[in-house]
Amino acid sequence: MQRTGLFIERAGFLQRLNPLTKITGALLLIGATFLLPAPLTGAALLGGVLLPLALASLVVRRFLDTLLKTLLPVLISLALVQGLFFPTADPATVAVGPLLFRRAGIQFALDIGSRLLVVAGAPLLVFQTTHPGTLVQALIQRGMPRSVGYMLLTALQLIPAVTERAARVAEAQRARGLETEGNILQRIRGLLPLISPLIVGALIEAEERAMALEARAFNAPGPKTWVRDIPDPPAERMARIVMLTALGALIVWRVATLALG
Amino acid sequence: MYAVSGFGPSHGNMRPLRDGEMDRASQPHHPVTLRHVTFTYAGATEPALRDVTLAIPAGQICAVIGRAGAGKSTLCALCAGFVPHFFRGRLDGDAFVDGLSIATHPIAELVRHVALVGSDAFSQISGARFTVYDEVAFGLENLGVPRAEMIERIEWALKALGIDHLRDRSPYALSGGQQQRLVIAAVLAMRPPILALDEPTMQLDPPAMAELADVLRSLSRQGMIILVAEHRLDWVAEVAERVVALDRGAILADGAPAEVLTDPRLCAYGIGWPRPTRIAVQARAEGCWAPDHPLPITITDLAAGLRPATADQGAANEQLRALRSLATQPESDTDGSQRTTPAAEPIVTLDAVHFTYPTGVEALRGVSLTVRRGERIALVGRNGAGKSTLVRHLNGLLRPSRGRALVGGVDTRMTTVARCARHVGIVFQDVRNQLFARTVRDEIRFGPRNLGFSPEKVNALTEAAIDALDLRDVVNEHPYDLPLARRRLVAIAAVVAMDTALLVLDEPTAGLDNASIGLLVQLINNLAAQQRSVLVVSHDLDFCYEALDRVVLMRDGQIALDSRFAELDDAQMDMLDHDVGLPIALRLRYIWVSKNRHLGGFTDSTK
Repeated sequence: MQRTGLFIERAGFLQRLNPLTKITGALLLIGATFLLPAPLTGAALLGGVLLPLALASLVVRRFLDTLLKTLLPVLISLALVQGLFFPTADPATVAVGPLLFRRAGIQFALDIGSRLLVVAGAPLLVFQTTHPGTLVQALIQRGMPRSVGYMLLTALQLIPAVTERAARVAEAQRARGLETEGNILQRIRGLLPLISPLIVGALIEAEERAMALEARAFNAPGPKTWVRDIPDPPAERMARIVMLTALGALIVWRVATLALG
Repeated sequence: MYAVSGFGPSHGNMRPLRDGEMDRASQPHHPVTLRHVTFTYAGATEPALRDVTLAIPAGQICAVIGRAGAGKSTLCALCAGFVPHFFRGRLDGDAFVDGLSIATHPIAELVRHVALVGSDAFSQISGARFTVYDEVAFGLENLGVPRAEMIERIEWALKALGIDHLRDRSPYALSGGQQQRLVIAAVLAMRPPILALDEPTMQLDPPAMAELADVLRSLSRQGMIILVAEHRLDWVAEVAERVVALDRGAILADGAPAEVLTDPRLCAYGIGWPRPTRIAVQARAEGCWAPDHPLPITITDLAAGLRPATADQGAANEQLRALRSLATQPESDTDGSQRTTPAAEPIVTLDAVHFTYPTGVEALRGVSLTVRRGERIALVGRNGAGKSTLVRHLNGLLRPSRGRALVGGVDTRMTTVARCARHVGIVFQDVRNQLFARTVRDEIRFGPRNLGFSPEKVNALTEAAIDALDLRDVVNEHPYDLPLARRRLVAIAAVVAMDTALLVLDEPTAGLDNASIGLLVQLINNLAAQQRSVLVVSHDLDFCYEALDRVVLMRDGQIALDSRFAELDDAQMDMLDHDVGLPIALRLRYIWVSKNRHLGGFTDSTK
């Protein structure tokens, strides 16, 4: 089982790009979502940029699935609250069954909801199309401390490992007659033998892992190399400059518009 | 075999000496040089190493043997600089590796000269890489090895350790044995001139142990120094060029394997001898080994030195019978067949059990097995054969997808695991998942208390288990303060105290020294004498042969063979040999028969 977080292994468009290009693109999208004042900016960016990118990267189903499963509760409550209670002078309403929604409220909810989808969707697409190892390697090569990169990657792998260990501990203790299937009192009584080996195990492992890192020259002085090359063609570097310039321009434009008023 | 180059101590590249480093007069002649080294861990009252003087020349495989807690791991850690830089304490004497003083050089610097592989593979996986291939690359990236060379080294290491086919798998998705091979490969790829291995065979099956021995021999021919701390003396005898025996931190014997491993002091100090040596001693008593012939340490030497039968076939048969009994416990020869009768009460019955995991993997495919009172069963098979899944059916941890499992006569679907635990106690391989109490005694009391026994009975069972596993001297200690071998004995005692009709032990001999294995054999015999049964899952076929009498071989989720060791026919032995290897005693029989083929057919039928 590969513990690679959200990453989906496909040979699509975004998977071929340098992680930094994708991160820059995501930043531009998020920036644009907030900075462009038009009411349907979010919907336009979602339908015009994110979904085509997800399609070209062969992850559109999983992308939509994850995005909606995560945000659906928020979107529904947004629609209910804003639709029913939006403060507006506009008397136009839309009836859905017994409920009477205010049209301006629905529009507001759609606008905010679609922006939310872009804000969550852009990083999601980056993670779904970038192997975490590649992402961390790209960030370390750009100056992120190696120890921070290590922590990010181990968290991703060790959490499932700890879950599995918890299952093994439960097996070992149930095999010693520990009742974990009874009433609340019995279950509480059973907590110590279940949690204690996990904690002790984690502490011992932390020490042994620190030892293993030393043995694998993690702290050895001198330049580091990487077995995998992350391509960064000139066109992508140029694209990043263009995107960052556009983001900067957007910010300047927005600030100027607000200031001028 | 894969050729390697570029090993050997790097004296030629040594940087200028620093202040406080050795002067010319004290320049060590050998890449590993220890002079009068004594080390005491911080907070400990007794030294872990006492006045150790040792010099290892380039290209030597030096094995360190000794009982649990003798200082083997400390010696390995010292040679890699982890003592005193990682494990703090007081270090006296001089210790040099590859010309560098261990005391004054940090691990980060020593790591280019010496590498250490610990015994617990799982916690040595970096956690920072997602595939086996990238895991091997991790150390090389940290050393700054250029990419082209890195790729060449990774390919070599993966092939040398036989894990090439696993290159795209997650390190966490590997079995214990595969993980152990991975961490060794990851360190070997770093090509240190000196390699320290702490119990490298702990989780390996016999074929993997033989492969590792080949790799180490190849590396040593290229100039690498290999220091290996190991309990398995049979393996040490096959691979080592020199053996250092430790007792309570001090060197007891140091020399050629043939001398040290047959030194009578090894038995006196509880370290013991390799099996072929023990067998030869018995063979000498049976007249099958010339009294003036030196004792062997490997099976090859044993086979070569066995006296051929004289002329008459009756005498040859008699010798063969004697030989076959050499490696077995007397109990299994005399009353093993009478101990269990078909009418004995069944403890567990698996009836055409199928089991499919949620992932769709069908791990059991129609397994039927009955365990009766008084039986001693070895459950063997390759990794992935279904052994672990079967064991989890013996107490209801898993319930059949099809078929049924009866524990104490009750279908496991109709009861809880805790109730099954009254009949079947299981000690899993990783004792870390089991131990949690503050003292050894509390740990052992936990099981019988769970089963609702009276306080008097809990006490009686606890004390009996403490004595059975020889833990009286540590009853008030924290289980985690004990060496791994004794921790395993605590885990076993904790389940023995539950007084179940069936005791299941998963790889019980991993990391145990000869003396502890002896305790285990005695325990199993005592349990069987009380009409209690034992089922052992193990790669250690010699232990199985010596302690148990029925062997069940699993293959692809089915039982491929189920027989008493004494009743195995040639075809069954071939099957066993093919999947998991044969115990020394049975291999010996093959050799003996082929050696005396001129005498015609043998009537050997009894063990």
